[in-house]
Amino acid sequence: MSILQVNALVAGYEPGLSIVKGASIHAAEAEIVVILGPNGAGKSSLIKAIAGLVPITGGQVLLDGRDMTAVPAHLKIRQGLAFVPQTENIFPLMTVEENLRVAGGVLPRADVAPRIEEMFTAFPDLARQRALMAGSLSGGQRQMLAVARALIVRPRVLVLDEPSAGLSPKLVEQVFSRLSEIRQAGLTIVLVEQNARAALAIGDRAYVLVEGREAHEGPAKTLWDDPIIAELYLGHRKEAS
Amino acid sequence: MSLQFLLDGLIAGSMIGLGAIGVTLTYSILRFSNFAHGDFMAWGAYAALAVVGALGGSTPIAPLSFGWPLLAAMVVAMGLTALLALVLDALLFGRLRARGQSIIVVMASFGASMALRSLLEFMFTSSPTYFSRAIQMATPIGFGVRITADQVALLILTLALVTGMHLFMQRSQRGREMRAYSQNPALARVVGIDVAKVIRATWIIGAALACAAGVMVGVLVQIRPLMGLDLLLPIFAAAILGGIGSVPGAVLGGLIIGLSEAAAVQFVGAEWRAAVAFVILMAVLLVRPMGLYGVAER
Ligand SMILES: Nc1ncnc2c1ncn2[C@@H]1O[C@H](COP(=O)(O)OP(=O)(O)OP(=O)(O)O)[C@@H](O)[C@H]1O
Ligand SMILES: [Mg+2]
Repeated sequence: MSILQVNALVAGYEPGLSIVKGASIHAAEAEIVVILGPNGAGKSSLIKAIAGLVPITGGQVLLDGRDMTAVPAHLKIRQGLAFVPQTENIFPLMTVEENLRVAGGVLPRADVAPRIEEMFTAFPDLARQRALMAGSLSGGQRQMLAVARALIVRPRVLVLDEPSAGLSPKLVEQVFSRLSEIRQAGLTIVLVEQNARAALAIGDRAYVLVEGREAHEGPAKTLWDDPIIAELYLGHRKEAS
Repeated sequence: MSLQFLLDGLIAGSMIGLGAIGVTLTYSILRFSNFAHGDFMAWGAYAALAVVGALGGSTPIAPLSFGWPLLAAMVVAMGLTALLALVLDALLFGRLRARGQSIIVVMASFGASMALRSLLEFMFTSSPTYFSRAIQMATPIGFGVRITADQVALLILTLALVTGMHLFMQRSQRGREMRAYSQNPALARVVGIDVAKVIRATWIIGAALACAAGVMVGVLVQIRPLMGLDLLLPIFAAAILGGIGSVPGAVLGGLIIGLSEAAAVQFVGAEWRAAVAFVILMAVLLVRPMGLYGVAER
């Protein structure tokens, strides 16, 4: 059964101007679902709507069968849905530790300190920088902090918007192998990516979003080998592999 | 030469600083300049006056001009002023904010400021009043500086309030949430922060500190419906000088403005006092718009 189910979602920033136009996606327990698509297709808008940041005018978001469509953004995390935005996904004027602590506010009070230490064990790089202002972290460390910040509340579904943006290939590999590990622990991941190749390598299933709706769905492995998909929707020819 | 102006400036600066904390928080969290903030001071002072009256007056504690009833009244008045701010937000600011144009909220705060002031004049007349008319003895402490017991007590109170406020912002979860929200409202919601609670805390803290500052002005100078309006420019200058959003910055800004004003009175002439805050404000806006503790706009 799907843990996250999005049915014919319609959403947009201004009334009467839908950006997401009836998108349907779903994700099973411990599955990595990749969402690809050209720039401006509405990928970010779709997952922002799922997270409660873009007004939804039609369709449904179900988490574990419960209707979350109208749940305000700040309560979604309490229901187990964590979101890492594409940009500005940390609080730059707070220390690394404060970033985790402020997100830990959702947890029972006694749980916060041990959970922060668990995050620092899982992300030793961050542990070394715990007292540093988050704004002075490098791009890769920021992404790790944003992921740690999302994981601290033990979500069931983690939705990420282009975690590899602006990272060197080596860091991309690091971030993605982290995501694979996280999935091993039973977490469901929904991953929006421009970096199709790296994303499809760790993904189970993938969607191609075009003009606000899913235009294609399939197993991640075969999607990469589909020349039509590569040509039409990813906007490039697949390089020889 | 007497160094009295330093003490005068320190005291004026403390009250400006307490007011500036509210302005800086309102600006960085609710994203508008609240021109009614000065009137929270005046309302706070009158509320304390009314509560003291209801308590049957204040019997002074030895060297001070006031006693426990005034301190109790101040605490009650802080609550009442916070309530006033929350009611204003529910009726006016919150509704306008929801429509998203900050200039409209600013204009509304102008209107609210005038209405609040007129109401005070209507209820208490525009003539000044006092918590106590007793003359206080000032003790010389060297360098030609004389200080009253009231001044000492209120400096200590300011220090306690500012320290408490700083610890609250740095150490408490709500304080962290307020900082987080001011840095990135959308991300704050994503990490589970309840915006309504952050907004409520902002009003309560800003209004309560404004009330404390108003009571201090009332104890040291006098209580008038216009007292808040007179302090509005120095308060804004302090908040901007300190860097919008920064609590220590607001306090430091307040002290600098207070000391500069006192120095202007001492060395240039009393009629220049009001111009000082304006000159500093302009200089900051031109040279370092982000203020002392501020960060450049994202
Ligand atoms: N905050 C906003 N307000 C209004 N319109 C927006 C906003 N954000 C995005 N849009 C519009 O929504 C459309 C889809 O943008 P979106 O960011 O969802 O695309 P995307 O698929 O994530 O693109 P990219 O690959 O470049 O990140 C674009 O036309 C964009 O102009
Ligand atoms: Mg995007």
